[in-house]
Amino acid sequence: MIRTEELLLNVGPQHPSTHGVFRIVVKLDGEVITEATPVMGYLHRGTEKLAENLNYTQIIPYTDRMDYVSAMTNNYVLVHTVEKMMGLEVPLRAEFLRLIVMELQRVASHLVWWGTYLLDIGAMSPFLYAFRDREMIINLFNELCGARLTYNYMRVGGVKWDAPPGWMDKVEAFIPYMEKKLEEYDKLVSGNEIFLARIRGVGRYDADTAISYGLSGANLRCTGVKWDLRKEEPYSLYDRFEFDVPVGASGDCYDRYRIRLEEIRQSLRILKQAVAQFPKDGETMGKVPRAIRPPAGEAYVRIESPRGEIGCHIVSKGKAEPYRLKFRRPSFVNLGILPKLLVGETMTNLITILGGIDIVVGEVDC
Amino acid sequence: MGAWLNESMTWGNAFVLFVWAVVFLLIVLGFVTYAIYYERKVIGWMQLRVGPNRVGPLGLLQTVADILKLLIKEDTIPRKADRLLFILAPALAFVPAFAVLAVIPYTEKLYFADLNVGLLYYVALSGITTLGMVLGGWASNNKYALLGGMRSAAQMISYEVPLVISVVGVVLLSGSLNLRTIVAAQGDWFWQWNFLPQIIGFVVFYIAAVSELNRTPFDLPEAESELVAGYHVEYSGFRFAFFMLAEYVYVYAIAALTTVLFLGGWHPPAPFLDFVPGLVWFLLKFVAVVFSFFWIRATFPRVRIDQLMGLGWKVLLPVALLNVFLTALYLELFVK
Amino acid sequence: MLSGMLQGLGVTLKSMTSPKVTTSYPDEPIHMPDRFRGIQHFIPELCIVCNQCARICPTDCITLTGKPNPDPEKRGKVIDTFDINFEICILCDLCTEVCPTEAIVMTNHFELATYSRDDLYKNAEWLTDNNTLVRKDNNNIGAPAKGGAK
Repeated sequence: MIRTEELLLNVGPQHPSTHGVFRIVVKLDGEVITEATPVMGYLHRGTEKLAENLNYTQIIPYTDRMDYVSAMTNNYVLVHTVEKMMGLEVPLRAEFLRLIVMELQRVASHLVWWGTYLLDIGAMSPFLYAFRDREMIINLFNELCGARLTYNYMRVGGVKWDAPPGWMDKVEAFIPYMEKKLEEYDKLVSGNEIFLARIRGVGRYDADTAISYGLSGANLRCTGVKWDLRKEEPYSLYDRFEFDVPVGASGDCYDRYRIRLEEIRQSLRILKQAVAQFPKDGETMGKVPRAIRPPAGEAYVRIESPRGEIGCHIVSKGKAEPYRLKFRRPSFVNLGILPKLLVGETMTNLITILGGIDIVVGEVDC
Repeated sequence: MGAWLNESMTWGNAFVLFVWAVVFLLIVLGFVTYAIYYERKVIGWMQLRVGPNRVGPLGLLQTVADILKLLIKEDTIPRKADRLLFILAPALAFVPAFAVLAVIPYTEKLYFADLNVGLLYYVALSGITTLGMVLGGWASNNKYALLGGMRSAAQMISYEVPLVISVVGVVLLSGSLNLRTIVAAQGDWFWQWNFLPQIIGFVVFYIAAVSELNRTPFDLPEAESELVAGYHVEYSGFRFAFFMLAEYVYVYAIAALTTVLFLGGWHPPAPFLDFVPGLVWFLLKFVAVVFSFFWIRATFPRVRIDQLMGLGWKVLLPVALLNVFLTALYLELFVK
Repeated sequence: MLSGMLQGLGVTLKSMTSPKVTTSYPDEPIHMPDRFRGIQHFIPELCIVCNQCARICPTDCITLTGKPNPDPEKRGKVIDTFDINFEICILCDLCTEVCPTEAIVMTNHFELATYSRDDLYKNAEWLTDNNTLVRKDNNNIGAPAKGGAK
């Protein structure tokens, strides 16, 4: 009899395919994984603790840096929670700007995911095409709020900047451009037989597992559960617009891939309607007291970020700083399924599955 | 060239042949330098960027700078590594790469060796490189290098079989293993070149060639970086440059072999174009084949290791055998 | 059967002839839009030492001291020292948002790389001299005199 041993291998923390500083300790039997333990915390920066000493406007730059690929939705979840606690009303134009910016951010985030996922799988060109298109969105944001990645754009009660002249036309011109590019992406990748053979049937799970692990976003919708917070608990102005929620059937990586590409299309659809209905004038900031002091109590508000459900729980004691601020981060919760999903897979499929869950380590660690 | 080879071996003749070989080595090294530049430029352009353009005019000296960097690095040999094998492995990988170039004919007059078993010589020597890779993986005394070396050896061995069998059809059609005869047997018009009558063999040969070269989509040994960085993980500096050099010289060799076997060698696409020298046609076809390797690298993702093995043994090998069978049937029924 | 792959090859071949999307950065400077949040510019004459910028900074990177106005006619303080620690400044723009006199504004410069960390501690003189490409639109909605959110 040959005696074989299990091999203990560290994937990460520095690794080209783990999307950040993230470590997985895998036990291998030959090529097959018998046990996988994610180890996180390499990027922990103590945002929630720091927030206990900062007032709400000061926390907004910190939220940008949590999920840096999709910063606008992070900004929104914080300011929306505070506004709900204080009962503030946001003027219509500001709300439209917020929605447009969040949907553009969704497109940008999915583009980053697409490019890096294909880079993990081995195709090197789609990364550059995705970033070329994302660069257009980033330039739009640069003109709007002065930064390319960490926007610090939303404030409690509105937004900081109004759209500069000509900005709306650029957004409007972007939409058909992006739709054309989506067709190019489909031609380049989605029909490619090598790619399909790599992705189909990998990382499969069913709806009950997904719900019991608390997955959200495309990870939940790929199993057939039609759950999108923009439709279930509409926030901002989402109930005014028509859009579909793409749902998969088999719960594997291919469904997640298709759902995210379809979500880009639906975001472009919302953008088209929002730009058409954009109010000609209005305030960008509502009536907000000088010092933002939510009344004592708690609130939890959740919205749909590109990665899933992001929630902000604030416990306030009536002061300018929160007593406790907690973010329910989608990447953190979605990672919970990784140990279960990886058992029995090979190392190559580990990278495919991890990329398919779409994590951003800044959000995992917060 | 043939005239020189037919004379008897004197010291003078030997010296001349040696000088020719050195000149050829320098030409091949020049090819490698500019093939790397060409690859980076082509992939850059396909990715909407410019590629190297800072070092030297238009970035032409980029590879020189990279090679210089590799040469001045420290030559580390792991302490527990098998020294002799460690030092031998890169040389063993590179020497066959250069040695197989001897049988490639460039024009009717310009060739280095006129072996009657030229094709067999090529295939036999290219197998020694696999030995060099396994040796490199073993001698590094590193679990991951060993695993990577075994994996890449498995890949290269499984794709040599369809590679060889796919050219048997060409040999049957031309009646000889001599590469010059194979080129001469291809007709003057481009539809008479072997790639159309032997289309199945051509496709199998091309796929097997891409896999032999360890290029995307079959670049598992180089890119499977989460588990193994391949057999050359412990190599640094000049020894690593040797492995990379061997890979690019193989690109040269395979592209030249494809041109000779399937694309008509030095024949022009139509007989009235023969005022352009044959060498120019050879080079054009050669450059097109090399471009296709880079084009595929820029476009496709990687295949998984189990899919790779499945493709090699379950798809390419039966198709290559089918090709041989069909060619033999055709020759029996229509030619004899 | 291979149609997906062939279409992909067509896309990459076509993009060889598309215009390049990269810029040759050090040779050609990048022009940022006017609202870009770059390194700050300080105007000491306008500063009234209200300390709002130091209070609002999320990372506490601004330190400032004031001295009584040397002119005995005028009241209030004038600025004595004003330092920004660019190791921790995140260019978030909150300091310009709350300044009531627009004494601190942002420029479009963003190149801060230095060889030593000491050089990242910029004082009032350096910040005053950093007066090119100053941002025109400051939008200090947080300033106390104008009202609005803090």
